[in-house]
Amino acid sequence: MIEAYVHKKLHTANGEMLLDIQLRIEKGQFVTLYGSSGAGKTSTLRILAGLLSADKGKIVLNGNTWLDTDNKIDITPQKRRIGYVFQDYALFPNMTVRKNLEYALEKGQDKNIIKELVDIVELEDLQDRNPETLSGGQKQRVALARALVRTPEVLLLDEPLSALDQKMRSKLQDYILKLHKQYNLTTILVSHDVGEIVKMSDKIYCLEDGIISREGNPITIFTNDRLSGKFQFAGEVIAIVQEEVIYIVTVLVGNNVVKVIAQESEIENLAIGDKVIVASKAFNPVLVKVEE
Amino acid sequence: MNVFSGHISDIQVNKSLSMVSVRISERVELKTILVETPETASYLSVGNIVNVLFKETEVIISKEEYPLISVQNKIKATIEEVKKGLLLSKLTLKTEIGAVASLIATEVLDEMALTENQEVIVMVKINEIMISR
Amino acid sequence: MAWGPIILTAKLALVTTIILLVISVPLAYWLAYSKSRIKPVVETLVSMPLVLPPTVLGFYLLIAFSPGNALGSWLQDWLGIRLIFSFSGLVLGSVIYSLPFMVNPIQSGLASLPTSLTEASYILGKSKIKTLFSVLLPNIKPSLLTGIVLAFAHTVGEFGVVLMIGGNIPEKTKVVSIAIYDEVEALNYDNANTYSLILFITTFLVLLSVYLINGGHLKRFWK
Repeated sequence: MIEAYVHKKLHTANGEMLLDIQLRIEKGQFVTLYGSSGAGKTSTLRILAGLLSADKGKIVLNGNTWLDTDNKIDITPQKRRIGYVFQDYALFPNMTVRKNLEYALEKGQDKNIIKELVDIVELEDLQDRNPETLSGGQKQRVALARALVRTPEVLLLDEPLSALDQKMRSKLQDYILKLHKQYNLTTILVSHDVGEIVKMSDKIYCLEDGIISREGNPITIFTNDRLSGKFQFAGEVIAIVQEEVIYIVTVLVGNNVVKVIAQESEIENLAIGDKVIVASKAFNPVLVKVEE
Repeated sequence: MNVFSGHISDIQVNKSLSMVSVRISERVELKTILVETPETASYLSVGNIVNVLFKETEVIISKEEYPLISVQNKIKATIEEVKKGLLLSKLTLKTEIGAVASLIATEVLDEMALTENQEVIVMVKINEIMISR
Repeated sequence: MAWGPIILTAKLALVTTIILLVISVPLAYWLAYSKSRIKPVVETLVSMPLVLPPTVLGFYLLIAFSPGNALGSWLQDWLGIRLIFSFSGLVLGSVIYSLPFMVNPIQSGLASLPTSLTEASYILGKSKIKTLFSVLLPNIKPSLLTGIVLAFAHTVGEFGVVLMIGGNIPEKTKVVSIAIYDEVEALNYDNANTYSLILFITTFLVLLSVYLINGGHLKRFWK
C-alpha cells in the first residue's frame, strides 16, 4: 500500500501553484491521476519517484519510508525500486532493444526475466534493433518492459500513450493491463483520456490546480454520478453519417464498434475523435449466451 | 434526444428499484423506473431538479385521447411539423412542456394519416426514460 | 629541416589532449548539471582563453612559475618540478589555453541530452558514475570527438603561450609554430614553407574528418 502526502510550491506557466496531494493506494490497484495539463499530475508522479523534491511530505510504501521531510528521510530514486515509463520513452539510443533491457538488470539478477517480458510484450523480432528505428508503439513496449526488469512493486506511467494513435493505444492498454495483473503491480497512470481511464483504472484522483478535487471509481466519477443509465461505456466517435431524417454515429468502445442513432441537435456539438458515453437503461439490452 | 427539466415529486423504492416521478409542468408528470435507489444515486431526492431524457424512437403517437394501452406517460400534443423520409419520419410535436420529437415508420405515418396541426397523444414507456443531474 | 619540432608538437598535442579529456568530462558534467551560484564564474574562467591574447596567459604563467616567485620556488624545491622553459610547463600552458575547446563541446553535448535519459537510468538503480559512462558519454560521441579534435588542433597551432612560457629550446620546447617563426627570421623560407605546409595539411585533414563523421557521412564507422 502506498500512503503519500506531498506539498510543494510549483512554478508553472500560469504562475505559482501549490501542490497539496494526499494519496492512499492499495496494493494491486490501478490508479489514474486525471486532470488538465498543469494540474500537477506529472509533478506528483515525479515526487513519488524521487525525481523531484517535495517542500514537505511523507511517502510510505508497505511500511518502508521513502520520504519524510520532518525526519530528513529522502530515499534516492535508485533505491525506491519502482518502474517508471516516461512520456518520451527515454530509451537509451546507444543500446539495442536487448541492451536497453539488460542495462536494467541488477547485479546477479536472473536474466530469465528479460525473456519473460520480451514474450509478454512481443519484442522477439525487435531485440537487435536500435531504438531510433522503432515506431512509437514499439518504443513504448520496450520502455514498459525495461521498467519491469527489476520486478518493481510499483509502476508509474506518465501519459505513456498520448503520442500514439487510437488503435495502437488500445493495444498498448491491453499490454499494460496484462503486465499489471501478471506481476501484481500497483500502477499509477497519468492520463487525461476518459476512455482509457474507464477501461484501465480501479480508482481515479482528479487533480485541479494542485489539489485533489474528486476521487473514486472512474465510472462513478465520469458517468453514474450524473446519469441514471446502467448500461454505460466510454468511447470515441469514429464516424457520423446522415441517413434519411436521422444520423448514425459510430462509436469505438474498447475494441468494439457500436452504432447509435442520433438527431441533428445532438450531433451539432459532436466531431470525429470526440469522447462520448454510450448509455442505455438496464431494461433495454438483451443477453444472449455465447455457446462455447 | 428529448430533454426536459423538472423536479422529483415522488420516489417509490423496492429493493434496488425505484419508481421516480418528475414534475415537468403543472399538468405533466413523467414516471420512470430505475435500477438505483436514493442510497446509490445522490441525485434521487424529492424536490431535486433533474433532467429527464428519452430518445425520439421511443416516443409513441396515438390519435385516440384515452387509448387503452400499457404506457403510463401520456402528454397531449399538436403535430407541428412532419419530415418524411423513405423509411422513417420525424414528427415535431407541440406540448405543454415544449417541443417533443418522435421518430416513427413512414408506413405508419401514412396509415394513420398523420398531418400537421392534428391533435394527438404522445406516450413514453417508463423504462425508456433516463434521469440526469 | 629537422623532425624534432614536429615530433615535439605531436607529443605536446597528444599529452595535452589526454589530460584535457580527463579533466574536461567531470568539469563539463558539473557545468551542464550544476545549479551552483559560482557556475557563471567557472564558466567565464574556462572560456577566458577564447578571447584573451595568448601572450597574456603566457605572461602570467611565466611570472607565477618563475623560480624567483613563491609558487615557482616551492614547486621546484618540494616537488622538483620546473615549469618554466620545460615540456611540463608547455603542457600546463596548453591545457589551460585549450580548455574551452574541450569543455564547451562536451558541456553542450550533455546539456542537449534529454534529462529523462539520466532519470531513467537512476530509476533503473544505476549510480551517477555508471549513468555518465554507460548512458551519457556514449550518446555524445560527436561532441567528444569535436572536443578531442579541436583541443588537439588548437594545441598544435598555439604560439604565444608556448613562446612565453617555454621559450625556444630545441628538442624541449621548440614546437613547429616556433620553428616556423625561427626559419622566417633566418630567411630560410623553404624550411618555413615545409613546416607550414605540414601543419596546414594535417589540420585540414583532421578537421575535415570531424565534419565528415559528425555530419553522418561516416557514421557507420563510429559506433
